[in-house]
Amino acid sequence: MKDLLANYPDPQGRFDELLAAPTRPRAHWMRAMMELAATSPVDIRQRQAAAERHIRDSGVTYNVYADPQGLDRPWHLDVLPLIIAPDEWREIEAGIIQRAQLFNQVLADIYGSQSLLKQGLLPPALIFGQSGFLRPAYGMNVPGGIHLHVYAADLARSPDGQWWVMADRTQAPSGAGYALENRLIVSRAFPALYRDLHVQHVARFFATLRDSLMHFAPKGDGPTLTVLLTPGPYNETYFEHALLARYLGFPLVEGEDLTVRDGRIWLKTIGGLKRVHAILRRQDDNFCDPLELRSDSVLGVAGLTDCARRGTVLVANALGSGIIESGALLGFLPRLAEHLTGEPLRLPSIATWWCGEPAALEDALDQAANLVFKPADPIFQIEPVFGRDLDAAGLAALRKNLAAHPERFVAQELVHVSQAPVLEADNADHLSARGIGLRVFAVASPGGYAVMPGGLTRVASGHNVRVVSMQRGGSSKDTWVMSPGQVDASFTLLKSTVTADELQRVPAGIPSRVVENLFWFGRYEERCDDAARLLRLALNLKLQEDDDDENSIGPVMGLARAFGLLQDGDDADGALLAAATSEANAFGLAANLRALERVAFNLRDRMSLDNLRTINGLIRDPVINRTLSLSDTLAWLNRTVTGMMTLSGFALDGMTRDDGWRFLSLGRRVERLAFQCLALQVAFAHRADSGLTWLLLLADSSVTYRTRYMARPEWLPVLDLLVLDGTNPRSVMFQIEGIQSALLKLEVAYGACGSEQAGAAVKTLAGLNPARDLDPDNARLRGAIDALRDAAFTLNDRLTQRFFNHAQTASRAMLGV
Amino acid sequence: MADFVTYRVIHQTRYDYSDGVSGAHQLAHLRPRETDWQRVRMHHLTIEPPPSELSEATDYFGNGVMRFAVDTPHTALTVRAESVVEVHSHAPAMAAGPAWESAVASPGQWGADDEFDIVQFRLASPMVPLLPEAAAYARASFTAGRALPAALLELTQRIRNEFVYDSKATTVTTNVNEVLATRRGVCQDFAHLMISCLRSLGLAARYVSGYIVNRAPPGKPKLAGADASHAWVEVHCPGTGWIALDPTNGKVADTEFVTLGWGREFSDVTPLRGVVLGTASQALTVAVSVDPVQLRDSV
Repeated sequence: MKDLLANYPDPQGRFDELLAAPTRPRAHWMRAMMELAATSPVDIRQRQAAAERHIRDSGVTYNVYADPQGLDRPWHLDVLPLIIAPDEWREIEAGIIQRAQLFNQVLADIYGSQSLLKQGLLPPALIFGQSGFLRPAYGMNVPGGIHLHVYAADLARSPDGQWWVMADRTQAPSGAGYALENRLIVSRAFPALYRDLHVQHVARFFATLRDSLMHFAPKGDGPTLTVLLTPGPYNETYFEHALLARYLGFPLVEGEDLTVRDGRIWLKTIGGLKRVHAILRRQDDNFCDPLELRSDSVLGVAGLTDCARRGTVLVANALGSGIIESGALLGFLPRLAEHLTGEPLRLPSIATWWCGEPAALEDALDQAANLVFKPADPIFQIEPVFGRDLDAAGLAALRKNLAAHPERFVAQELVHVSQAPVLEADNADHLSARGIGLRVFAVASPGGYAVMPGGLTRVASGHNVRVVSMQRGGSSKDTWVMSPGQVDASFTLLKSTVTADELQRVPAGIPSRVVENLFWFGRYEERCDDAARLLRLALNLKLQEDDDDENSIGPVMGLARAFGLLQDGDDADGALLAAATSEANAFGLAANLRALERVAFNLRDRMSLDNLRTINGLIRDPVINRTLSLSDTLAWLNRTVTGMMTLSGFALDGMTRDDGWRFLSLGRRVERLAFQCLALQVAFAHRADSGLTWLLLLADSSVTYRTRYMARPEWLPVLDLLVLDGTNPRSVMFQIEGIQSALLKLEVAYGACGSEQAGAAVKTLAGLNPARDLDPDNARLRGAIDALRDAAFTLNDRLTQRFFNHAQTASRAMLGV
Repeated sequence: MADFVTYRVIHQTRYDYSDGVSGAHQLAHLRPRETDWQRVRMHHLTIEPPPSELSEATDYFGNGVMRFAVDTPHTALTVRAESVVEVHSHAPAMAAGPAWESAVASPGQWGADDEFDIVQFRLASPMVPLLPEAAAYARASFTAGRALPAALLELTQRIRNEFVYDSKATTVTTNVNEVLATRRGVCQDFAHLMISCLRSLGLAARYVSGYIVNRAPPGKPKLAGADASHAWVEVHCPGTGWIALDPTNGKVADTEFVTLGWGREFSDVTPLRGVVLGTASQALTVAVSVDPVQLRDSV
């Protein structure tokens, strides 16, 4: 044990979660310390490494807007959990329940009778001046009287061991999903410890959330449907939205997937409109409805506010809940608690004064050195000012700002947050320590608020960092609340709630936006494959130019031009190299990979991580936008072709054959049909002066040809293999038959969408007589190929009209005077 | 002369879209408000194409709102509001009044009192920031101890005289800073500017949306449809109540003004705001006529 603590830093007046006195751990940490002491440093390092690998492999991310790693920053987790003793937890739990109830009552009052304002328990100017006070939400009919369905509080512990609330999250609290993910990882890292400490399980929290939303939601128009509304993949916690949607079984939707009809909300699916009864939103208040809230927002649903007002949809949390997040309210909570609940506030906020009150302003100025001054409303965009950092001039400037607009500021006491043990990144022999904060969660249920036993422990990024924030690059921990008795482990979310009757073989309804993205995923994937194969062929020909006895250069360059890889007048060698790696060529491989990545990004919650990893591996390849030598370019093209094979393998072997898969598959076949027809057209044009080896190579069919014919390529067998042979996955027939069969399946559910056109094309092909028609000069064959290439484009348009149109109705706000 | 006038107001808004749009959701503040001095004798809204849904309600400030949705594809949307409104004289005597400072809430007096409804009109709002420049501009008229009505009237007239009415200078989202800097704008801009001036001094001021009768030059007929919707300001004066002032015309607002409603600023009472589904570009045409109605026998 001595060893572990050899480098453990002195808390310097802060509370230490681990130690009661130097080298003496607190009782509830004893078991954990024994485990750590008994585990070799190598083993501990391996567990941390395994956790990091899991995070990377399952794509757990947290987007940081200002971070150069941008959208892909992996989630940081320290595998040592924060351990909390049962009696201590009971206090926290009771305090959180009280606060959640209190805030719900305050919201009901602010958006209802406003009696707290009229009685002076809350200053009207404070509420009316908040940007978070949504006038359109006034008088709303909130199902079950519940405004606050999910509540989160950021706690920190002061040197005397007392927990304080640093901030309240009331509009769309994040972090519960990360807590769930952390639990999954850390309980695996220390399975024995997890069991022996009787750590309370967190799954019930999520079940309560799901069941309660269902319980409180209005009913009608079919089965009760709850959706999770996300601002989209660019949001910092999108990973969590996707995770929660999957875990809770809610469709993950964006604003444009929803529409308002007859005063109700509907989900736009390829099967038509499905009534939505409850919306768990991860979108801020003001962005939920461009009609009544921020008109410049394109993220919301026009008319959502009115539906919420009528009570035809449950919005969790209710619109306008964000006002509680203002620090300006905190100073009034003790009085409100006494007034509304009849008992003192159990879990106090860190001392916070709204400077809009003259007495508070004076006090704040007197002890500025011990305070941090923060905006009373996020719209003021004031950077926090730490009093102790200010010199005389800085202090004078602060005084001046406060005098001019006292109502814009809150003053908050500084907390020296507690420290908890962490593993050193490079030295697992010893423990170190960091400042921590704890985010805890509560959910409304018919029986009152229920608190997740545990939560998200956030770890400061450096030893002396005073702001604990994931946005600022901190790490996280799992939070283990020990149970006084045995843990009820019988419960898991999915097993207990899905009965055989409820098994879904077909998803509740795929949003139109999703199938459009799947279709384009298929098209771009195939287009990348086509571009890579064509470039590889062209560059290989360059290598062996001298011994190309078939004159393949002509048709291959012609096809490269028709594809857009080459422009007339380009220096062919340079342009081909550039088309492989430079995004500047809009038709080149790199640009198509970028388009594929974008579509895959929009499908993040539907694609397996292997797909995303494969695509990321290519688009992040260092060759992108660099000029390479010929041999390096060929190696890169080989990697790309292999990558595309991997993707199609995932689709073939890893996706259930549902409508989503059908659209992906349609996209690929439509694209390949167009490409194969184009290649044949070019071959026909060069029939007099070139051989056919290039065409077989391009269609990945030369091996088949050799095993069948053991001869030089000739037109009749080549055309049979590439046009009519329905067993060749690169043949024209294979594409059009596949398209026909997918459309027939879709038509069962959605009515006519083009299978008859595909069927006619199949018939035309089947009607070709090999002996007579399989000849490059044959007008019937050439007409059929021309018609099929057109058909590819018409099919694309028909699918767009029929299924994607919902998704394309972008909305725009307008004002009339 | 009677101490009231009856008007027929027709306010027609038309959107033409370059391509069809598949639907629209609209929120209209087009019903004139009932007040102590204004009676609404008739109000009717005609929408083309006919809306699939229509519902009437009252907004947070007590103004009438109409929400409607059109769910059929269309290339033009027309909203025609027709009202018959009786406006009684209500302008207060401007000769005397309390010192303006008495109408200012002392900083920090946020407690409960009869100010409950008034207090929200003392605070900044999204389009009306509190600006030192606006306060400085107002100060010239708000000298120490000056009676509030006199100071208000002077500020109203200074804005009328020192700013240029220019419908090309600004848009519906132009902010007060720009108006102060360029000294140009339209009624909405002047109303926001004046509200910013007054709130920056600590006074309660609200934005009024409505219409003004356009008097024709002598001997010439009034141009139908030439008028537009109008905006002016109301200021709270202890003992008197709300005083209506029009900075665009530099005068107290009385029976020449028809009130639609009020809020903190334009965005609270936008006559028509909406969201269209589609990517078409749009052209907006607005026509307003405000005509006195000759009642055959006014009882």
